[in-house]
Amino acid sequence: MKEKKIEAILEVKNLKKVYMKNDGEPHVAVNGISFELMKGEIFSFLGPNGAGKSTTINMLTAQLTPTDGEIVFQGQSLKDNPIFAKSKVGVVAQHNNLDRGLTARENLIYHGQYFGMSEGDAAKKADELLASFGLTDWGNDYVKSFSGGMAQRLKIARAIMHQPEILFLDEPTTGLDPAYREILWQHVLKLNKEYNTTVFLTTHYMEEPERFSDRVAIYNKGAIKALGTVEELRKKVPSQTIITIVLDALNEDVVKEVKSLADVKDVSVKDEKTFVVYVDNSQKVINELLALIDKKGLALESINLSATTLDDIFIHLTTNDIKND
Amino acid sequence: MEKKLNQFDIFKIMVKRDLLIQSRDWKEFVFRVGMLPFILILTYGFMLPQIGILDADFPNQMFPGMLGMSLLVTGIHGTVVPLAMDFNNTREIEDRLQAPVNVRVVAWAKMFVGIIESWIGALIVLPISLVFMGSYLNISLDFTSGLVLLGVLLLSSVTSATLGLLVGTVVKPPQIAAMFPGFLMPLIFTGAIFFNWAALETIPVMKYITLINPLVYINEALRFILNSGGDTMPIVYSISGIVVFTIVMGYYGMKRFIKMANR
Ligand SMILES: Nc1ncnc2c1ncn2[C@@H]1O[C@H](COP(=O)(O)OP(=O)(O)OP(=O)(O)O)[C@@H](O)[C@H]1O
Ligand SMILES: [Mg+2]
Repeated sequence: MKEKKIEAILEVKNLKKVYMKNDGEPHVAVNGISFELMKGEIFSFLGPNGAGKSTTINMLTAQLTPTDGEIVFQGQSLKDNPIFAKSKVGVVAQHNNLDRGLTARENLIYHGQYFGMSEGDAAKKADELLASFGLTDWGNDYVKSFSGGMAQRLKIARAIMHQPEILFLDEPTTGLDPAYREILWQHVLKLNKEYNTTVFLTTHYMEEPERFSDRVAIYNKGAIKALGTVEELRKKVPSQTIITIVLDALNEDVVKEVKSLADVKDVSVKDEKTFVVYVDNSQKVINELLALIDKKGLALESINLSATTLDDIFIHLTTNDIKND
Repeated sequence: MEKKLNQFDIFKIMVKRDLLIQSRDWKEFVFRVGMLPFILILTYGFMLPQIGILDADFPNQMFPGMLGMSLLVTGIHGTVVPLAMDFNNTREIEDRLQAPVNVRVVAWAKMFVGIIESWIGALIVLPISLVFMGSYLNISLDFTSGLVLLGVLLLSSVTSATLGLLVGTVVKPPQIAAMFPGFLMPLIFTGAIFFNWAALETIPVMKYITLINPLVYINEALRFILNSGGDTMPIVYSISGIVVFTIVMGYYGMKRFIKMANR
């Protein structure tokens, strides 16, 4: 893909966070994770609700003190030199932490100045960003009056105001309509391409990492389950092609028989009518499946052939965990 | 951006932000700051001496107390309320904590604004006092006392900001309403605002309990300077008291702030 010098910009070693709950019980939100963030890559950090993604971002951006472990920005430990770390990063937090006492434009200008921009430069950049995020007419309004999507756009504009080297995006497109999602990605890809900005993304929209990211980590219950390019992760599921079949009624018998077919790698039952078959030779298996259904006298409602998506990989790697709860 | 960032420049920007926001509500600010000394001076400095319930010298006792009270309360309020809101409701302080400076700079900026506000709190007492109890007041100040007065006011404004930092990082927004009856009122009324601390001689318990109130030291120092001695605490004691309080509260306030900043 892209020609990039492989150089870690951020190293995370054995990072751990234990919260104390109100009832005094400890809760392990992040359980000793390690990974490296390479300069200029777009890295997706995917996991179900409550997996500890925001907790991880908060620790990496110096907002939250880890219980244990190390965070190193270009050789400098965050603990020893938080100012260096903070000078590298821009963050879009999951919650709305805009400055309520300031107007939209002032939010951007002050933010730029906190990072050493002159007032003039900051004002110029603020106006450009307001324009591209469709907020020019709202520049002089207080953010109190903003809709959820407007606030989200402003948060994104603010995070890229000072052109950070590493951009942390915690579910940045949640609450954005499809048009603004595209605009966000245009901005992010432009920063990535022109300034080699590193991006650390969490999202629940699986098509985003599939389209844009260099590497993906699938993360659940405080631990990284898989890490690699989307292509590499595909190999973690039993096959590259899946057939989804919906019948009028499903029984264990059918599933067992399907499982025993040659070229079928695995079968998983989705609900009482639907099952998913991981296959290698799809043409052959489809014919066998149809014959089997016919023989059993079952009614086929639908059959669908598709390549495994990140969605399937994500579900495959995280549902086992959820079932074990 | 490998530019070397100047921590002091960023401090100034943060102060500017706070002053901008405060200045937008300047009418509420003047009302909030002026109302308490106004009503106390009107009642105790004007009406009661007029009626004859208090004697004509009372305003002289009271004036330094009003100065100290207004300064302390304004500074505390000016630090506590924005801090508690910033940290708890929306965590909007995160944007400033994210700035490439030591988090202490964010706290210093908050305190500096509290200091400025406390000076305005002290200044506002002057016209109110002149209007309502000017005829009773008998204050003479030579150049040296003037300088000492300035020094005590400056020191006390720092005290008020450190107290504000500590309280602001402890209280939660729903508790702010309870702060006036639960914290500021006792602070004010046990703070020797109307009379010398030594007058508590007849109630020894009160005399010693009130020593944990920083306002006592501030008012004693102001009274020493403005009423040229009299029966006040020696100025060395009162100033030492203010300094000790400032250091202790500043230390714990900063500790709390850093803890809140890094959760
Ligand atoms: N301040 C806190 N005190 C106690 N527990 C917390 C605190 N913050 C988060 N948690 C818990 O830690 C876990 C991880 O939370 P976190 O917000 O990091 O999840 P997440 O992966 O970002 O989820 P989502 O996709 O819903 O945003 C959750 O179980 C949450 O309840
Ligand atoms: Mg989250």
